[in-house]
Amino acid sequence: MRLRVWFDRLVVLLILLAAWQAGSAVFGAYWLSSPWATISRFFVSLSDGELVRHGSYTITEALAGSVIGGVPAVLLPFVLRRQPIIVAILDPFMVGGYGAPKLAFAPLFILWFGIGIESKIALVAAVVFFIVYFSTLSGVRALDTKLVQMAQVVGASERQVGRHIVFPGAVPAIFAGFRIAVPYAIGGAVIAELISSNRGLGYLVQTGAMNFDTTQVFVAILAAALIVHAFIALVDLAERFLLRWRPRGAALIVDHGT
Amino acid sequence: MAAMLEIRGLGKRFPARAGREPPPWIIQDMTFSVGAGELLTIVGPSGAGKSTLLNIIAQIDTASEGEIVFDGVLTVSPGQKSLRPGLDRRIGYVTQDDNLLPWRTTIDNVLFPLEVQGGIDDAARARAAELIQAVGLVGFERYYPHELSGGMRKRAALIRTLVYDPPVILMDEPFAAVDAQTRTQLQEDLLRLWSLKRKTIVFVTHDITEAIALGDRALVLSRRPARIAGEHAIPIPRPRNIKDIFTLPGFAAIHQRIRADVQ
Amino acid sequence: MSSAEFAADLPEGRAVSRKIIIVGGRIALALALLLAWEWGARAFGPLFFAPPLETALRIVEMAGNGKLLTDIAATMRVSTIGFAIGCLAGVGLPFLLRLSPRATEAIEPFILASQGIPKYALTPWLILWFGIGDAPKAIVVTLFVFYIVFITVSAGMRNTDQRLINMARILGAPEHIIARKVIWVSLLPFFFTGLKVALPRAVSAAIVGEFLVATEGVGFSIERARQLSDTTGVFAGIVVAVALVLIINGIVNGLERRALKWRPVERDMQL
Repeated sequence: MRLRVWFDRLVVLLILLAAWQAGSAVFGAYWLSSPWATISRFFVSLSDGELVRHGSYTITEALAGSVIGGVPAVLLPFVLRRQPIIVAILDPFMVGGYGAPKLAFAPLFILWFGIGIESKIALVAAVVFFIVYFSTLSGVRALDTKLVQMAQVVGASERQVGRHIVFPGAVPAIFAGFRIAVPYAIGGAVIAELISSNRGLGYLVQTGAMNFDTTQVFVAILAAALIVHAFIALVDLAERFLLRWRPRGAALIVDHGT
Repeated sequence: MAAMLEIRGLGKRFPARAGREPPPWIIQDMTFSVGAGELLTIVGPSGAGKSTLLNIIAQIDTASEGEIVFDGVLTVSPGQKSLRPGLDRRIGYVTQDDNLLPWRTTIDNVLFPLEVQGGIDDAARARAAELIQAVGLVGFERYYPHELSGGMRKRAALIRTLVYDPPVILMDEPFAAVDAQTRTQLQEDLLRLWSLKRKTIVFVTHDITEAIALGDRALVLSRRPARIAGEHAIPIPRPRNIKDIFTLPGFAAIHQRIRADVQ
Repeated sequence: MSSAEFAADLPEGRAVSRKIIIVGGRIALALALLLAWEWGARAFGPLFFAPPLETALRIVEMAGNGKLLTDIAATMRVSTIGFAIGCLAGVGLPFLLRLSPRATEAIEPFILASQGIPKYALTPWLILWFGIGDAPKAIVVTLFVFYIVFITVSAGMRNTDQRLINMARILGAPEHIIARKVIWVSLLPFFFTGLKVALPRAVSAAIVGEFLVATEGVGFSIERARQLSDTTGVFAGIVVAVALVLIINGIVNGLERRALKWRPVERDMQL
């Protein structure tokens, strides 16, 4: 039974690759690089350091931006846990910031911080902040009040309640936020590079397209997609490690923002 | 009385899975028949496979063994390839959950079967209105299910089946989840509607009193696997006064006999 | 996310004064942000910050000479085309896959995995194929919308109460009617959750696409202003872009409330 499913998937994979290869043969590598050319260039590019150089730049932007945007986004709901009025005052601004197209700020950030790494980090931070903030906030709000009362009854201080009850309870929501944010972070970095840069996977895509080197375009896109999946897997792994006490449940990811 | 529904040697177990013990029987060797216009009640403990039995008769579940004959025609047999839910609208099914469509008002829920069976005409509307009147839902036609009480929802679910007039109706503890007073009223409503238009009804319940109050005949099921543990004709004459069913002659004796079988 | 839930169990007088504090706080914060903006303009100079007033005047000017309208029309044209196609595919495919569980199991993992591809990165390649017209941007918008709608509609379909489907079958409903009158209606809340994400995303994807390739549009104006070091133009364009997306957000929320009035309570799927 399960074997048949994997067999079916293999067939679908082969059909997809065959269609891609056929398309490349019909239109020519100039327009559509073939799967074989893409994969072999991928490994060549990986071994000669080219892909690592550009990939690590994009990863650095995404990581730095996720830390700068993500850390305050995690802390804020905890700091404001006992200040519902401030949370309520902030609410429309946060909702607006969440809904606003952060990527539209890319030209402004480039204007402010130049075409180097800083403007990309700023963009990623802006994107990640709102996603993680709302996710953490929902975790803090969904808190089990019975557990808090129990802790208070046994004499826990407000800080201890935050540390031992609220924080562990909100960890799944924080992870959910970061998991959703991963593709946004990589995608945001790549877009900023596409608009203006001299390094990174987005730069590789842009120069590849300019030189009609579609293989380079595909290699860079493939690398970006692999990075997204690898980071999601890393977040999942970290979550599984930190949340060993929790029964397994499947989380629904509605939206990959790449 | 001609048999409307014949169940012959019916058995059910879930499909075996590799590396596990063969699954136990849920229903085994069940044989009974229901006459045309009869109200047969089936009593059994919770979890005895009563719902599974009705699901098989309604053809939303498969049988592992045995066959079912509907009005002289073989409809369920071993190795059957595809199911025909509701047997082309000849078997109605009032389930334990009302399964009203939550986004449709009462009237639109009642008209739903007619709508999906090819359109609503004036006669259909009149019939729906008549049934709404008969069960006292007048004034609630434009309410959504979540705005109705439990008893009202049961009534709506009941007349949604009556509105398209299937010759056989299966009922799976339809009144289990309402309070005692509402239940008595629902039972009276059912008997009144049934006396007007004698349908063949198979009514499953875990409540012995309900089985006696409603049925012409009561079958008793055993615990898993479900088998027929007893069969009792209900000698109480109709029309029956459900509120005072306990006081009617013969009630105590039949109640005692059925209870002895339900173990 | 509203202040009402905090005020719920307070005595009325205190709830009212609390409401005043919150509204007042919001106004004060809005003013503070505006002041910070003004201060930024003075501190960093006109090359980095356009003062709020100047930005507003530029928007008025753009509205006056018709540029605002043509920009918005161009952006909305691209978003609408991409949205319509993506939405159609995103709804259609799950219903198609429903016909064959085997095909679903074989195909779905590839659709989900392909989601990791950064869609904007396809734009330069799409420009090679389709030139600098609407097509490359519309395709990117289509992809964004497709994935969001596909995933929410598939989730809604899995979430449909099987008992309702069984009931409809017993009542004699043919499969295409069940798909339309039971499954579709039942997954509407999921579909709207998808739309709420997809519609603003379609517009912002069009704007970002216009950064990369365009001859008109809100995104084009922002990026050209940046290249001309017209800071006021960048600010004005961004304000327009944010307002456009937030207004569309608001419209979708309003529509959702009307379409789902049969539901007993608001319960949104957590994103």
